[in-house]
Amino acid sequence: MKYFKTGIPILLVLTGTMIVLSGCDGASGHQGVMETIKAANAPVEMIKATHEIPPEPLVRVSEEYQGGIFYTQARKDKMERFECSSCHTDDGATINDTREAVHGNIKLNHGAVTNPDACDTCHNMSDRNYLATEAVAKIDFDHSYQLCGTCHFRQKKDWVGGAHGKRIQNWAGKRAVLNCASCHSPHSPRFAKRWPATFSPPDDVLADKVEE
Amino acid sequence: MKQKQDRRTFLKGALTCAAASSTLIAAGCNNRKLEGGGEEMSARWNEYFKKNYRLMTPEEKEETVRRLEQLAKLDYDVDVNVETTPPKKNVLYGYAFNISRCEGYMDCVEACVKENNLDRKSKTQYVRIFEMENGQMDITTGNGKYFHEVPKEDHFYMGIQCFHCEQAPCVKACPTKATWKEPDGIVVVDYDWCIGCRYCMAACPYFGRRFNWHDPEVPKEEINENQHYLGNRMRKKGQMEKCTFCIQRTRNGKLPACADACPTGSRVFGNLLDPNSEIRFVLKNKKVFRMKEELGTDPKFWYFID
Repeated sequence: MKYFKTGIPILLVLTGTMIVLSGCDGASGHQGVMETIKAANAPVEMIKATHEIPPEPLVRVSEEYQGGIFYTQARKDKMERFECSSCHTDDGATINDTREAVHGNIKLNHGAVTNPDACDTCHNMSDRNYLATEAVAKIDFDHSYQLCGTCHFRQKKDWVGGAHGKRIQNWAGKRAVLNCASCHSPHSPRFAKRWPATFSPPDDVLADKVEE
Repeated sequence: MKQKQDRRTFLKGALTCAAASSTLIAAGCNNRKLEGGGEEMSARWNEYFKKNYRLMTPEEKEETVRRLEQLAKLDYDVDVNVETTPPKKNVLYGYAFNISRCEGYMDCVEACVKENNLDRKSKTQYVRIFEMENGQMDITTGNGKYFHEVPKEDHFYMGIQCFHCEQAPCVKACPTKATWKEPDGIVVVDYDWCIGCRYCMAACPYFGRRFNWHDPEVPKEEINENQHYLGNRMRKKGQMEKCTFCIQRTRNGKLPACADACPTGSRVFGNLLDPNSEIRFVLKNKKVFRMKEELGTDPKFWYFID
């Protein structure tokens, strides 16, 4: 009789909880996610992020994405030897092999094998503080996407829209994305082959480890 | 000899069994010691008998997380901050994975393990990356245990994790309502209401759920102190866990750890209800597909190609 008395309330509480929780599920409805997406056409107010992105120099991108203005990581503050004009003056170099000593680490691996890029494909030869294309004489290093986009126009379209590249830290709030050179070395843009950061151990290895 | 049982005796027996077994389950699932001073004892006691997260009032949630922080200090000697940040209005999270860009570096997996306090002993991982032969579409042909320099020639990489299905089979399978879909689309688990039956694990067609066969072990200095009640707070033995789109990050506007760590930009995350978001750009402009779409699980995780 004692168990009977304690058992009943426990069962009642458990059943009650189940009934209440079943009610919670009903609210979601049965609309598929594609219908939900298609119905969501009105622009939503910008959702704020709790944490600001880490303070770092950003520049406003010269064009807009579907949601308006956006920003990209600045570049010049990360370049070791900017400004270039501090060395590239009209005076001749004072030591031999200057080019090898200063820029010897640059291995140019960009462009077609048969027709590789040269320095002047991208760099402005008359004003070294700028980049250049055939069409545009001067491109700021902070806005190098303008240069990259002249050949890689498809990637640039995706970068502006959001299918290429990535945002800095936040999905919400002001849109700030990495620039092309944040991920791709401009001189050798393809990612290198390397070991993965970690691995998924095979099941037998795992089983041994757990049993220890 | 056959003994005739009357209705009363039978019911009495059945109820006794039910009461006894529920006590056993409560005691068996939590093998932590029930000792210490009065305050600790009371905290642990209240932990056993707290409500399901969805039934708690804001005050009760506050009380629970303070208690969890107190217990984390006792059990792991770390000062954690457990949040109960509610879903944001007008937000439905979606994820897209670029299979032509992923190179298999697995930085995402590493970041996920650190962010979500995953068990280091059994090497629990929410994210799995499969190395697939070019032209293959069936993930079962992929190699999920590769260990060599990547990317490998003539191969591409495909990541899977919890897809946060709108019609989630795991939610339907759970007998204790310990797992559900939040209004912002994240499928979460109330670890303390999970009885460890693993029905959800069996129901998930994507291998999205992980079970704790023992108490997870995380080195003290590696414990991520920014936690969420439904996210990366410390789990216990016998509890189910899964990817929560890093609920402790995303509800504060951050990208999930995997997307933030990806060195190739293969991972796109955002608000499906915002027509201007990156994820919506992908859905509109790219060739996308979802895994096992024919099952009707309606996952919010798309694959796309450049």
